[in-house]
Amino acid sequence: MFNSSGPSPAKSVGRIRIWFGIIAATIAIFGLRLFDVQIIQYGHYKQAALNDQLKQYQIPATRGIIEAEDGNSVVPIVLNQKLYTLFADPPFIKHPDVVASQISKIVGGSPQSYLPALTMKGTQYAVLAKKLTQTQSDAITKLKDPGLGTQGQYYRVYPDGDLAAQLLGFVNQNGVGVYGVEQALNPQLAGKPGLLKAITDVNGVPLAASKQNTQIPPTPGKNVVLTINVGIQEQLQQILANEYKATKSQDVSAVIINPYNGHVKAMANYPSYNPGNYASVTNSKLFDNNVVDYPIEPGSVMKTLTTSAALDSGSITPNETFFDPAHWVINGFNITDIKQDGGARQQNIASILALSLNTGATWMLMQMSQKGNTIINANGINTWHDYMVNHFRLGQPTGIEQGYEAAGYVPPANMQDPSIDLRYANTAFGQGVSVTALQLGAALSSVLNGGTYYQPTLVSQMISSNGQTTVNQPKVLERNVVKPNVGQELVPLMQGVVKAYLHGGFSFMNFPSNYIVGGKTGTAQVAKPTGGYYKNVYNGSYVGFVGGNKPQYVIVVYAIKPNVPGYAGSYAGQPIFADIAHMLINDGYVLPKN
Amino acid sequence: MFPGAESARDRARLSSQPAGLANLRRHKPDYWIIVLCAILLAVGLVVIYSISPALAITSGVSGSYFVDRQALAIGLSIIAFIATTRIPLERFRSSYKLLLAIGVLATLVAIVLPVNPNYPAHRWVRLGSLSFESVELLKFALLIWLANFLTIKIKQGAIANFRKTAVPILAAMGVIGVVVAFIQSDLGSTGVIVAMMGIMAFVAGLPIKRILIIGGLIVLVGVLAVIATPYRLARIETYLHPTANCQSTGYQACQSIIAVGSGGITGLGLGSSVQAYGYLPEADNDSIFAIYAEKFGFIGSIILLAVFAALFYRITRVSERAPDDFSRLVVVGVLTWISVETIINIGAMVGLLPLKGITLPFISYGGTSLVFFAAAMGLVYQISGYSSHVSPTSSRNLKGRSNDNDYSSHRRGLGGSYHPNPGNRSRA
Repeated sequence: MFNSSGPSPAKSVGRIRIWFGIIAATIAIFGLRLFDVQIIQYGHYKQAALNDQLKQYQIPATRGIIEAEDGNSVVPIVLNQKLYTLFADPPFIKHPDVVASQISKIVGGSPQSYLPALTMKGTQYAVLAKKLTQTQSDAITKLKDPGLGTQGQYYRVYPDGDLAAQLLGFVNQNGVGVYGVEQALNPQLAGKPGLLKAITDVNGVPLAASKQNTQIPPTPGKNVVLTINVGIQEQLQQILANEYKATKSQDVSAVIINPYNGHVKAMANYPSYNPGNYASVTNSKLFDNNVVDYPIEPGSVMKTLTTSAALDSGSITPNETFFDPAHWVINGFNITDIKQDGGARQQNIASILALSLNTGATWMLMQMSQKGNTIINANGINTWHDYMVNHFRLGQPTGIEQGYEAAGYVPPANMQDPSIDLRYANTAFGQGVSVTALQLGAALSSVLNGGTYYQPTLVSQMISSNGQTTVNQPKVLERNVVKPNVGQELVPLMQGVVKAYLHGGFSFMNFPSNYIVGGKTGTAQVAKPTGGYYKNVYNGSYVGFVGGNKPQYVIVVYAIKPNVPGYAGSYAGQPIFADIAHMLINDGYVLPKN
Repeated sequence: MFPGAESARDRARLSSQPAGLANLRRHKPDYWIIVLCAILLAVGLVVIYSISPALAITSGVSGSYFVDRQALAIGLSIIAFIATTRIPLERFRSSYKLLLAIGVLATLVAIVLPVNPNYPAHRWVRLGSLSFESVELLKFALLIWLANFLTIKIKQGAIANFRKTAVPILAAMGVIGVVVAFIQSDLGSTGVIVAMMGIMAFVAGLPIKRILIIGGLIVLVGVLAVIATPYRLARIETYLHPTANCQSTGYQACQSIIAVGSGGITGLGLGSSVQAYGYLPEADNDSIFAIYAEKFGFIGSIILLAVFAALFYRITRVSERAPDDFSRLVVVGVLTWISVETIINIGAMVGLLPLKGITLPFISYGGTSLVFFAAAMGLVYQISGYSSHVSPTSSRNLKGRSNDNDYSSHRRGLGGSYHPNPGNRSRA
């Protein structure tokens, strides 16, 4: 009876063993699976783990500071400061009212102004305030509110406000330099970020050192010492601000160059902006450094280069006279002088510059074509083109350490062009060719220094983080711009222009006799974007020099569309130049004649 | 009538079968059970200790929180273990109705209580700061009830009677399926309970054919349950394609297999788990095997599997030698309970089974399961101290055993209780 209804213990034990066998077999299968996963497929899973766990981080490098010469010392004009962004994690803000009043006590502002960010929905990062100081940030941290946090970030600070703003540029929110030196020298200033490769937790926080962790320390950026003289720069900016109003210009720009090494001593435009508040600037044109990125048809200031080319090529001599017919007909067009002084008569090289004779500039191109004749031919055009492009390096960026430098434009010497003669006659007095103030200054410098074209530069030296100083040696781009005598011949010619204006009633062109000052005005027609020229709209320009025994500074001034009662060059460009020259002399920046 | 070595207490421990009592032997219990359980508890504690910095970061509590809690749970488990080794088995058997009532009550309380938003399932009974999963209590109660039920059916000779034996078991499974699987959404525990009941019935002698029918029904119900609940279907899909969608449904499965695989042969070392730092969810709990495998590699994992296998072997041996049907079925139930949970847990971690939210016995962090495992092991340990004088397999099994063999029995003057016919033990 029991055998038929109940299990025999033997049967029972047999079934227990079957069950244990199943358990043991399952565990054995797990063992095989582990062999597969942990040994055979180890590489696959290790890689999968590293894909998740190993993260790379950039360790930001400290950006180099920017310094400039001030008297006999070097002072920082751009510094770094760690400032903090205050943000909220709104879901963690329990009592927005309380938190808002706590923030307003520390940061300032009304408590209400923080409420929208504190109660923002659908985000875990709402910015409450930017640029908090270390002290303010510490005070926020002390609140120990899990819904508040601060994040440090280095900002550029400018102890001198808007000093040299456009030539400096700024550093944008991504830490990249834009405009000016910050853009051009971004790689050097930024340094090289370090790299941290680390096994991290799921939130990306690196775990304690493991074999996979590697760290490459960042290389801090180099400090840059500019060629800018802080005193001259400040004065120049003041002069431009004043003259901007006096001349009712759209923009005024000026650059002061040391012709013997290409060092830019000052470079400014007005209107300008404060790079510390670049984010609040609505008109991005204010960021432009017009000295390098705004080429214009320079007008008669070009005649200094035309004269230099004609002298250097032997086409004219400094004391040569010629008969000026007061107009030339070229390709069917009349070329006349703006000033109709005296009409057709005998003129000389000095009067071409002093009276700014377009007919005289055209005559010099004729002399380059065929000496003693009054025609323009391929010889003259090619010669003049060669001077403009290869000697004076117009039509190409100078390579100065600035963002967005413009190339300008020199018309090609295309002899198939039926109006090429007219086109080139125009370039001889600065129309139909576009040039930046810097290009003009660098070209004139190369003539005045005896024929060496130095690349204009803003950098006097760079100092790496280990203290190693690299002096920026003057870079010669062209050794034989003109013969040394051309500069010596041009100096009195340009002094003559200054004297002529002084005698013509421009009393501000009176300079002490132990200094040499020379210049040339330019009043240029402004081309319409659609072709042709505006009527009654001119740009005023001026190129000049100031020095003692020899020209010490070359100065170029552009006054864009001034509103003055006379020629833009004489009444807008010239007074700005005069202010600058007087300032340099009066403040002792110029060595007088000994 | 009873041998001198038997005390009144010993008698009370045992089943009331007179024949069983006649064959009863008391000897040293199986200390290996304690040793193996202690090894597993120690491994669990060490792993939890070693990942507590990671747990502190991901959970925001102090670093010692988990270790302290686990140590407390181990302390409670030791008390539970000692209690169930001391309280006579017969006492459990006689109070199965009470146990069942408590289990049902706990389940009802868990269902009625508002849920913790972090674990939105009606599984927990919270009493102040204490909380436990009702299903663990239910497992224990069902174990005692079913062992008793099957013993009675054996005694009645009705074990093969479908209506009298199989139907009540199926009915119980059905109720559990509805309550635990559907209401509490705990398919894992349902599977453990069904396996436990099924194996106990199997060992009790239910005809194979019937078990196959029951098994078929269970599989059918299981498939329906999976189809009815979208997230279960997602888990099965995850199982079928473990690397297809690591970021969503397959995230935990994916991270666990990555943890296991990246351990390699020797592992990253005790303090070097990376996956515990937030990558692998439930690192201290359901996923602890993966963390262990990451730390100790293939060698460590095989050793751990071997410890589990050894424990199951010892429990199997105890059940083989159990002095009577009730004891045997209790031990088989405990074996199934623990081994199935182990298999479901590790199977999921190595990517062979779908994730089921089942802890790894003795290793995982978590007080409830630990205390009940310890209580169950206490019963096994208690039973291991007894065996029927002549085991059905005595001629093969008892050889070489120093403390429990025919010869020693004779020497101890217990030969008089020798019963030549083991079949008598279950006479009705």
